Amino acid sequence: MAEWLLEPLGFAFMQRGLLAAVVVGVVCALVGSFMILRGMAFLGEALGHAVLPGLAIGYLASGGNRSVTFFWALGTAVLTSVVMGALSRTTKLRQDTAIGIVFAGMFALGIALISSIRSYAVDLTHMLFGNILGVTNGDVWLILAVSAAVVLALVLFYKELTVIAFDPVLAVTLRLPVRGLDILLHVMIAVAIVVSLQTVGVALVVAMLLTPAATAFLLTKRLKRMMVIATLIAAFSGVAGLYASYYLNIASGAAIVLACTLVFLVVYAVRGRVRPSLAVQTKSPAR
Amino acid sequence: MSDTRMHHGSQDESPHPAVELQQVNVFYGNTLALEDFSLAIEQGVRVAVVGPNGAGKSTFFNLVSGLLSATRGVVTVHGHAPGQYLCLAYVTQASQLDLNFPVNVWDVAMMGRMGKLGLLHRPGEADRALVSASLARVGMLEHAQRQIGELSGGQRQRLFLARALVQEAELLLLDEPFAGLDVPAQEQILKTLDDVQALGVTVLFATHDLELASEHFDRVLLVNRRCIAYGTPQAVLTPKNLAEAYGGHLQVLNTAEGRVVIGDSGGHHEHGAQGQHG
Repeated sequence: MAEWLLEPLGFAFMQRGLLAAVVVGVVCALVGSFMILRGMAFLGEALGHAVLPGLAIGYLASGGNRSVTFFWALGTAVLTSVVMGALSRTTKLRQDTAIGIVFAGMFALGIALISSIRSYAVDLTHMLFGNILGVTNGDVWLILAVSAAVVLALVLFYKELTVIAFDPVLAVTLRLPVRGLDILLHVMIAVAIVVSLQTVGVALVVAMLLTPAATAFLLTKRLKRMMVIATLIAAFSGVAGLYASYYLNIASGAAIVLACTLVFLVVYAVRGRVRPSLAVQTKSPAR
Repeated sequence: MSDTRMHHGSQDESPHPAVELQQVNVFYGNTLALEDFSLAIEQGVRVAVVGPNGAGKSTFFNLVSGLLSATRGVVTVHGHAPGQYLCLAYVTQASQLDLNFPVNVWDVAMMGRMGKLGLLHRPGEADRALVSASLARVGMLEHAQRQIGELSGGQRQRLFLARALVQEAELLLLDEPFAGLDVPAQEQILKTLDDVQALGVTVLFATHDLELASEHFDRVLLVNRRCIAYGTPQAVLTPKNLAEAYGGHLQVLNTAEGRVVIGDSGGHHEHGAQGQHG
């Protein structure tokens, strides 16, 4: 048993991969908790895909330097969420429509850029589907630094972010800086997405944001507890997924997401259908 | 009336109206939601805001709370611009909240402190004592650990009143708080409102119920895009004023046993102006 657990740890790439999977999972679970409470699932999906042209351009501009590519992707994600917001504010389009238009256009641009330059197709495949075992020491430090920044911001602004998510009208009458905190949340989502690209890739990022948080949501009625449970599920899924990937020889990103999904299914089977509520069920619309 | 203002340590001794509007216009796109609206509400009174569906009651509340700005004219709350006045609580229609949100009664009441606490500060002993006292005042302390979806509609409204107390609100806006509540729950809230008002809080209360307005309120504000009338229930709820507010949708009958007013709106849910800018 011990040997079974210890054997993969003998490889430096596995150590780095496990560390990255746990840290990224935790950041995504925390940010994702606010996303599911505010009905931002589609935004997460869209931003995950919309960073693709940023990745391609960053890769081209830097000749494959990972940290330069990282900041291109981050910039693209932030810019995309700003454009989506502006489009729904300045037209009568619903927000989900605005998100859909921008994300599809950006994703197409990314594919067009990639298809025009064949030589870096392999690296970009890694970005689409993740390549956690290719995480370098430099990547680990970058992931740790930006993740620490996100967690710090979440701790500092936890109570304000909670009020805005629960009751935006109260937030305004309390004179909270709603606009600034909204921008902060969008930047944190962008950071969470970009750090996830290395582990699960563009296509599956949304699972890291939503699945552990949603699983925890089914298990508790307190937000703090939900966020703690979500981080535990994400960390466990990261480790379990990587071991599955190691022993079953399946793609690491897919293995991590499948581990999250499996935990969700188990929790759903046990708790999902017995959630009682006296009140009318209201699902808040996407904001 | 001035002795009712001692609560919450208002530093302001000048007799500003609780709410004052001067020739206010509000547009939603090309729709004029409020027109040439002028009004002064004195401090400490309980005001029923009545009018037909889509008359602009929610718009009026959004304006006073600072959610919405006037297209033209001046709005002041205790002499300040609405966006600068902190001691104001706004309880919107309950349907706008996610009842599955993972917070309990205590958490929601504590949210009322967030404005005064400031960024980066955590609630202390004094904040907890205030939350505890406010929940006790509305009879919700025993339910402090319950998730908000597990409360009855009346309990939820009392929780929001407690949160307003936690905010140390001097002006309380309630948008259709009786929608969907049974009579006992309504009576319990009216009793709680008596307690709140005893602290000197000015209460603005949107309702469709003219009988409620005439029996339980100091003042009635009759709205239909314009301020039709404001004053005591007897002065405002006259056939002439009601006909002007409700137009052809209302019949006023004078019978031997008193005046009977028959409206056709029937519904207790006003969504009109509220939904248009969401």
